[in-house]
Amino acid sequence: MSEIIDRPRYACALGGALFTLRALPRTAPIIHASAGCGYSLYGALSAGAGYLGGGYCGGAAWSSTNVVEREIVFGGEERLEEQIRATIELMDADLYVVVTGCMVEMIGDDAAAAAAVFRDAEAPVLAIPTPSFKGDSYAGYDMALSGLFRGFTRLGAEKRKDTVNLLGLVPGQDAFYKGNLTELKRLLEQLGLRVNTFFGEGETLDNLRNASEASLNLVLSDRYGIKAAQVFEEIHGVPYRVLPFPIGAAQTADFLRAAAEAAGVGTAAASALIYREEDRYYDYLERIADIYNDIDLQRYAIVAGDVNYAPSVSRFISDELGWIPKLTVITDQLNAEETAKVQSRFSGWESGVYPLIKFDPDTSAVQRYFPLAWPQSANERYYDSFSPAVVIGSALERDFALQYSLPLLTVSFPVTNRIVLNQSYAGYNGGLSLASDLITLLMSWR
Amino acid sequence: MGKPLKQIAIYGKGGIGKSTTTSNLSAALSLMGFKVMQFGCDPKSDSTNTLRDGSYIPTVLDTLREKSGLDAHDVIHRGFNGVYCVEAGGPAPGVGCAGRGIITAVELFRHQRIFEELDLDYVIYDVLGDVVCGGFAVPIREGIAKHVFTVSSADFMSVYAANNLFRGILKYSRSGGALLGGVIANSVSGGYSKEIISDFTNRTKTRIVEYAPRSITVTQCELRGKTVVEGAPESEQAQIYMSLAEKIAAHEVSEIPAPLGVTELREWASGWSEKLLQRVEGNVSPGEAI
Repeated sequence: MSEIIDRPRYACALGGALFTLRALPRTAPIIHASAGCGYSLYGALSAGAGYLGGGYCGGAAWSSTNVVEREIVFGGEERLEEQIRATIELMDADLYVVVTGCMVEMIGDDAAAAAAVFRDAEAPVLAIPTPSFKGDSYAGYDMALSGLFRGFTRLGAEKRKDTVNLLGLVPGQDAFYKGNLTELKRLLEQLGLRVNTFFGEGETLDNLRNASEASLNLVLSDRYGIKAAQVFEEIHGVPYRVLPFPIGAAQTADFLRAAAEAAGVGTAAASALIYREEDRYYDYLERIADIYNDIDLQRYAIVAGDVNYAPSVSRFISDELGWIPKLTVITDQLNAEETAKVQSRFSGWESGVYPLIKFDPDTSAVQRYFPLAWPQSANERYYDSFSPAVVIGSALERDFALQYSLPLLTVSFPVTNRIVLNQSYAGYNGGLSLASDLITLLMSWR
Repeated sequence: MGKPLKQIAIYGKGGIGKSTTTSNLSAALSLMGFKVMQFGCDPKSDSTNTLRDGSYIPTVLDTLREKSGLDAHDVIHRGFNGVYCVEAGGPAPGVGCAGRGIITAVELFRHQRIFEELDLDYVIYDVLGDVVCGGFAVPIREGIAKHVFTVSSADFMSVYAANNLFRGILKYSRSGGALLGGVIANSVSGGYSKEIISDFTNRTKTRIVEYAPRSITVTQCELRGKTVVEGAPESEQAQIYMSLAEKIAAHEVSEIPAPLGVTELREWASGWSEKLLQRVEGNVSPGEAI
């Protein structure tokens, strides 16, 4: 029998695909699914993504076929064709992408055939199957990107040695994706690279169209974007390299060295950049030295989040803030290979201080594993309580944090208690943001 | 309260004579004075043709395709001796979901309480027999048909389909679904074919309700767009269908079948293949002669 997941931290594949498309400039998704799929996913994902909103041609305005029983019985291809036609007429976009829900995939609607009717339209119309029974929103990101790489990115582009694409940050599931991409792009550009992130500041659909000029795909995740990178390699012959998502000085230095080596730009450029950035980084970070001592010095930390945030935040806590991570819960559903890969990120830390690591998609897992990480009180005369401490996770950790009266910083999906604009947790600037958010939280908690 | 309505589903592999059997059964029951509706649940939509001189009727789904609301009366057509004929119909081949179509059509009739309104004695569902998805199992789910009969020849593919149906019945029997009335052995004229089908029913703990031999009369009548009961009422074949109708009218208690497992079924089939091969080669052990 299947197991239930207690309050999962993601929506379905269709949701992941929709938020990936929402993050693409001037792109209009067309949902081929029942009424309700689009709006429910918008509600779930927008709020969880720090109130990302619908964007251009998105959210409550998403075009949808809203299929009913008639389409299920007789097939919905004609209805889809009608909807594509109307969308092209009413929505001004440079790319239209049909994404599909479970029911139309179960009856075998050929969305690609409906999209192909519009092959002579001014803007391209693609169809990408994204049935939700094929995975979660992270899987939807890979499905959407793979479809775009197959159907939109131009074939046969001449390779440029200095061009890389950045994958692995899932728009929406990572509430800070845009700020993160901006910071990572800023850094890579200083290595002399041209960078396509597709969803970052100032990018256009040309970044995606010409992504095949790249000589390398950097995937900043042990799970997200890997399948898309494999498709990219298969179609456009561009290899990929998986690196951990970097937060703060130590991880970003590792990242820049590895990226420079993989992109063949030489480690000297990386070292010079790291030197410059660290100079700036520590100039800011040292400001917290006094208050750091004033608010109980060292903290225990509990971290819960996805495969990108959980390991990197834990290492930041341990290596940069000098705090003590006690428990880290990775909340994705992973296969054995992915689990081993993520597990391996908990090694080689400068501090040598590691948390108890658990892989569990249940929200209640944090509560369940906490006694393993910290002995519970048995009414002893002297009980060493779990204090001072902080929880870094998602809004779903609120109950746990309240129960133990611990301050909570939300960084991983869902981030429903914050408005996220251009903030970033990646790179040097992201490290400074995380440090300042954490110390601010502790001060306001006093 | 009116008289009790008896709902029966007849399944069988495509081409095995399911519609022939069902139509003759409907015709025979109507001659016995019952008010009968035959409900074709096959996208081919030709279940009731021989009740209506070979003519096709607009299907539930064709009509629904044209307009969103549907009065069930619009798709009920009278056939031989007043039998009510309905065809569920289906989508064009290769698109949509025929299974959902069956569900839609059956639900529409239930919601509009047509069976009660027409004061029927029998509703007979003629269903595509491979039970490929949940839609085709609708007539055997709770609250629709109470008894299921399967039409099968001694052909192995037909037996496979019957066994699949038994699996479906077994599954739904736990939640108040229809039970198995028995097997109507079709195109079985005796000899080894009778042995095969009897052996199968013994093993699956069910029984044969009637043997219907292959008959040229059926073909002759069907070419004229008629059931045997209508077209050749005095024929031997018509008497077989009248007898079947009487048995079904008297049938009260259906049972849960014991379908064979996949491997069991294959072994059973290959056991018979060997036996038949030996007979062809004349290598028959004593007492096994046909």
